[in-house]
Amino acid sequence: MRKIVIVAVREYNAAVRTKTFLIGLLLMPILMGGSIAIQLLIQDKDRRYAIVDRTGQFFTIIAKEVDKHNTTKPPDSVTREETRAKILVEEVEAEADPDEQRLALSDRVRRGELTGFLEISAPARTKTQEKGDKAPEQPDELTIRLQSNRGSFDDFADVASRAISRKVQADRLEKLKRQMESQKDREKITEDEVKKIVAPVQVTPKGLSQRDPTTGKIEEYSGKDKAAPFIVPFALLMLMFMVIFMGATPLMQGVVEEKIQRIAEVLLGSVRPFELMMGKLLGLVAVSLTMSGVYLVGGFWLAHHYGFTRFFPVDLLLWFLLFQALAALMYGSLFVAVGAACSDFRETQNLLLPVMLLAMAPMFVLSKVLTEPNGSVSTWMSFFPFATPMLMIARQGIPPGIPLWQPIVGILVVLATTTLCVWVAGRIFRVGILMQGKGANLGQLVRWVVRG
Amino acid sequence: MNAVEIEHVTKTFGNFAAVDALSLVVPAGTVYGFIGPNGSGKTTTLRMIMRILHPNSGSIRVLGEEQLGAANDRVGYLPEERGLYKQMKVRDILRFYAELKGYRDNRAAVTSWLERLGLADWANKRVEALSKGMSQKVQFIAAVIARPELVLLDEPFTGLDPVNTEVLREEVLNLRRDGTTVIFSTHDMAVAEKMCDFIFMIYKGQKVLDGTLDSIQDAYGSDTVHVRLEGRPNLDGLPGVAKVTDFGKFQELRLEAGADPQRILAALVQRGVVRHFELTRPTLHDIFVRIAGPTETLGNGAPTPASEGRPHA
Repeated sequence: MRKIVIVAVREYNAAVRTKTFLIGLLLMPILMGGSIAIQLLIQDKDRRYAIVDRTGQFFTIIAKEVDKHNTTKPPDSVTREETRAKILVEEVEAEADPDEQRLALSDRVRRGELTGFLEISAPARTKTQEKGDKAPEQPDELTIRLQSNRGSFDDFADVASRAISRKVQADRLEKLKRQMESQKDREKITEDEVKKIVAPVQVTPKGLSQRDPTTGKIEEYSGKDKAAPFIVPFALLMLMFMVIFMGATPLMQGVVEEKIQRIAEVLLGSVRPFELMMGKLLGLVAVSLTMSGVYLVGGFWLAHHYGFTRFFPVDLLLWFLLFQALAALMYGSLFVAVGAACSDFRETQNLLLPVMLLAMAPMFVLSKVLTEPNGSVSTWMSFFPFATPMLMIARQGIPPGIPLWQPIVGILVVLATTTLCVWVAGRIFRVGILMQGKGANLGQLVRWVVRG
Repeated sequence: MNAVEIEHVTKTFGNFAAVDALSLVVPAGTVYGFIGPNGSGKTTTLRMIMRILHPNSGSIRVLGEEQLGAANDRVGYLPEERGLYKQMKVRDILRFYAELKGYRDNRAAVTSWLERLGLADWANKRVEALSKGMSQKVQFIAAVIARPELVLLDEPFTGLDPVNTEVLREEVLNLRRDGTTVIFSTHDMAVAEKMCDFIFMIYKGQKVLDGTLDSIQDAYGSDTVHVRLEGRPNLDGLPGVAKVTDFGKFQELRLEAGADPQRILAALVQRGVVRHFELTRPTLHDIFVRIAGPTETLGNGAPTPASEGRPHA
């Protein structure tokens, strides 16, 4: 066991101290920083919003709130200039057909004349309520939609929400006062009533409207909030895929190098082949956890920055690390076996093909899994052991998630497969690591495994 | 106490018997030389002693233990081809190999070895920056760093300049002085003659020589005559001479079994003025070439391996 650890530590150091590893790690914050810089650049322009106020009550107060927002921004601490851009609003007369008006305004956004447009309607009086919009619970509940192509992190939504909420809250209070006057016996306000009064109004972010070319209907792109739950599972899946293959490929090349340089012979004079292989695999697990750790912290920071933290639950991350460690062992053992069976780098390509096909299995059903995480294809595919780690994580991450027994059974399936892979790889490794000259083909590998 | 006891060991690769029914005893504290042509089974034998390969049949006891499937921390190994990670620093790789052998507190030992072999300045350089001779010395340190009781060196002197050869030769003799058993293979017969207590030759997987240099030479008898005649006349057809080899400055005559050197001298005098006539024992080189040379086959002229006993006790 101690020798396994010594080999693992060496493998870890050899992998982590390379330039490529450092460059990979450094690229991440640079990309992150770059994206934020772009965000700031975009935000540093004046933004113009159209407001369609079907209630006729709110444009003035929103305009006032926007003025306040524009004037109270602190000037830049260094240049003493107002660096942040202003928000501009314009009122647009409500038209009879709301869909056509949305399409027209969306076209203006696409032309760059507007950043987005806000639409306030009282659903009880107009017929703009649609499937997907919030159903009104109270007569005063408004439908407020902010359509833009900026996504949900838009401070104009906060400004508008603040202004509208203030007026709505005042109206609610007024109404309650009238109620209390008519009911002479009431003197107390219940906690429920207070909650109802102070509840802020929600601005629903939406994508821009467009006309469906086949049906002729006017529809919106699904808003960013609808896409957000898919971003994290998809990102986790891609992260696992990337980290495992970024770690396993150098590991395999390392085995080939040990064969070419005859290092294997020296090592096998000190450790058993199985110990050597396990050391390498543990090193890979540590490397992959380091990489994903760095990326997860980065990702979490990004999520926090953009307010997506609710899609980033901690228990999902723990499942991710567990599945990733097992996947690293499972795929790592296959890569090590391929490395041991080959005598130069070119030969690895042929034997790697079946391994890569297994690894790509989750990618083939990815769209199905993201759209129907609990459909039968998604469920069954996620118990195919080579797809289990990535698909289970994706399915767990998409609301509403999956029953707990599924990832647990998944872990057991992967554990069994990993044990089998490590055993098979151990037998191939033992024979292959000392082989020189021509590499083995698939038939020979099977013979090595069967005969030992 | 014997360091290695090999009994009737056979190792085949497919249909090819790399080592065929080999038996060998290496007494502790000796320097044992393995010689033999390329592909004769030297490395396979060394790898089996290292437990890197397992014999198909027969048994191998190393330092009194017979155990399969477990690497032996008491044995050090220098493989024929260099086994060093190019990207690692010299000191790190030596410490890694020492730790793998279970020698944990090795910092001082690594430093002192590097100083002794003149590599102190290279301790923090990567292996890829070393010359061939330097990496050879690093490899040697890797084999002996963990103070093994038995050291196997597969062609340790190949590719070294005379100065470095001398340095390594000195270290091998130091090891023996400290009681370490050393087995090394070599193609340099002069080195084997000078350094080895015992010499073992393997040819086509079988043992053909095993013993002290004296006993091996005795077994071949004094059947070689070096002669020099004025004018270098043709020496073909001399009675009792099996083979004539012309070395330019002198000619070497191999005598037939039972031939009388006096009669040959008499015959030579008939041919010309004899300037030099020396009855010698064959060198290890001669014996090697006689066994493994392209024109020779086993059992021709010289005593066959089968008739040869084990000259040492």
